[in-house]
Amino acid sequence: MSNSSRAELLDKLRDTASGQSAGRIELERNAMGSGNAPFVSANNLSLTYLQNVLANRGSITCVANRNEAVQAVGNYLYGHFRSHRLVAGNDPRLAAMPWRDAGVLPRFGSLEEGEPAALSYAKLGIVETGAVVTYTGKGNPCANHLLPEHHLVLVDVNDLVLNLEQAWEKINGDLGKDGRPRGINMIAGPSSTADIEGQVVYGAHGPRRWHVILLGEVPEETRELAKNNAPTD
Amino acid sequence: MEISSDTFLDNASAALRDTDKAKRRDFIAIATPQIRKAAIDEFEGFDALRKHVKRIRQHSLNNLAHYLEKFEQEAVQNGNRVHFARDGAQLNDIVLDICQQHGAKKVIKGKSMITEETGLNDFLKRGNLDVVETDLGEYIIQLAGEAPSHIVGPALHKSADEIGELFLKNHKLGDREFQETENLVDEARGVLREHFLKGDVGIIGSNALIAENGYSMLVTNEGNGDLCANLPDVLVICTSIDRVLPRAEDATAMLRLLVRSATGQPQTCYTSFYSGPRRDTDIDGPVETHFVLLDNRRSDILTSDYREMLECIRCGACLNHCPIYASVGGHAYGSVYQGPMGSVLTPLLTSLEESSALPNACTTCGRCAEVCPADIPLPDLLRNLRQEENDKKLTSSRWRSGLKLHSWLARHPRLYQWVTGIVIPAMHIIGGSRGRLSRLPMASGWTSQRDFPAPESRTFMQQYKARLRKNHEQ
Repeated sequence: MSNSSRAELLDKLRDTASGQSAGRIELERNAMGSGNAPFVSANNLSLTYLQNVLANRGSITCVANRNEAVQAVGNYLYGHFRSHRLVAGNDPRLAAMPWRDAGVLPRFGSLEEGEPAALSYAKLGIVETGAVVTYTGKGNPCANHLLPEHHLVLVDVNDLVLNLEQAWEKINGDLGKDGRPRGINMIAGPSSTADIEGQVVYGAHGPRRWHVILLGEVPEETRELAKNNAPTD
Repeated sequence: MEISSDTFLDNASAALRDTDKAKRRDFIAIATPQIRKAAIDEFEGFDALRKHVKRIRQHSLNNLAHYLEKFEQEAVQNGNRVHFARDGAQLNDIVLDICQQHGAKKVIKGKSMITEETGLNDFLKRGNLDVVETDLGEYIIQLAGEAPSHIVGPALHKSADEIGELFLKNHKLGDREFQETENLVDEARGVLREHFLKGDVGIIGSNALIAENGYSMLVTNEGNGDLCANLPDVLVICTSIDRVLPRAEDATAMLRLLVRSATGQPQTCYTSFYSGPRRDTDIDGPVETHFVLLDNRRSDILTSDYREMLECIRCGACLNHCPIYASVGGHAYGSVYQGPMGSVLTPLLTSLEESSALPNACTTCGRCAEVCPADIPLPDLLRNLRQEENDKKLTSSRWRSGLKLHSWLARHPRLYQWVTGIVIPAMHIIGGSRGRLSRLPMASGWTSQRDFPAPESRTFMQQYKARLRKNHEQ
């Protein structure tokens, strides 16, 4: 049934189309270039990034190395849940972290009922919008960013990109190299809704809290911002 | 697409008398334009981006067959099955068939205007499927048995109290009170979580189809669409043929316009790109994925004078800035598409005969065109539809005669000036010190509700000529 609709529709559209060859169409699109991106100062990307994460109602921590990262995760979990229960995807970067030092023993896999927190390791952080990018797969089962009460994300400071265009450059590079993941997720805040009288409420269906841990060397100003905005219980 | 737009005037009268709902319409008309303006003021290149995206959309529509085939080829390579639906009935049949092939019992749905357009929910229910809307606003109106009143916030017409009553009636959870909005959201979260985990088929819409890689972009804040896309074994993405864009960066360029115009954010909480079924490296996600691409007269619109309407990105900004929408609300339009964009789209997707009231539900103030991120000349399109209405003789013969007379007079300027030179001063005199007229021949539609302001003592041309004479004498 839909095969005849397909042929009928495409024939009709071809009759009204510009009639250009695929090569000409590609050239025409190339000539249009990219659209304007909002201005983002490249002076201190980490600072702008964390400011935008805060604007997205995320919470932030800044850590210099992997030891500090596991401590930050441990502190966050204990502060909120008085426990160190954590689920993380099978991401080799997460598996290689010194979890024992922080007394955290993550369960590697997909979030199950009753588990309150999950950790992802972002592919990228987008400074323009304060978002993180993850790909679905063993390293990031979708349940881990959609179902927990709290979603924690590690972002390497070297993986920060200025804007959405730069994000696509990197993503397209990965797609060319590793094939297309089932899902590319840009996450910019905890799940929210304004469907009741326009009032914004967090935790509509997914995480009620979204915590970004920026890992790597950053300017003092960035550290100050993170210190002054330390997550509350 | 089922509509009841022929009763627009009666619906509008009833809406104007509902002062409780008017409060919530005021929120839409006052708060949302401010939120949008703040976001756009912060982004200096918004207008330039608007022009860029318009060029991309026009290029895509000029080469729609090429990009649809490219998308189809990539999507199939990604492991999807791609279906084309001529009309709403065919889309519904295709989706029901997919559900039945999998022996599905429960369908969970993300927000999809296309399936609202085709009436998919009722169709699937008649096929004995349990269909649950999971966007909070859509869920609320599903419980209430109502249609969406706004394309972005479908339940914004309902008060928290009304929603509380709906929940008490429909969720068998014992006695409880809802002190805060958070309590309502929490309850819906708990109830819907159960549905998410039991869904056999997930159905979502798409904000953009990306031709270069076969991905579909989904933009949400709640994350419900993503749960529908990821938890059930079968995923069906229902969208229309005009959503296709050449490249991924085109989709995110459009995203910058869409999100700022709709909610004032730089990016929604979840912007997801889905390519197909579970890969070998995945431990969750659907095992089978389908795209159903709907035409439903869009290929006709493409060749008409209204093709720019296909560039609409469904942000809702035109609704939020429309004085008519603010006064009468979304339900008055009797269509799943409301406000200025709905008043253009509804007649094009159905017929002008069924919905001729809608193009007239416009003051031509032009705010919609000013704020439209897709730069669609909505007042021009509405005016063209009125012209068509007149040409098809859908208006009363009295109205057409009046227009004909006015048109004839306007093409005879001397006579026009002579007639108005008599009528206008006469109206001024009748208006007297009150400066208003309570009755006017052939304009009782106006004067039955309010007085008509009396014009100045002389016409513009009389005043202009007098000024020229005065300047000449000096």
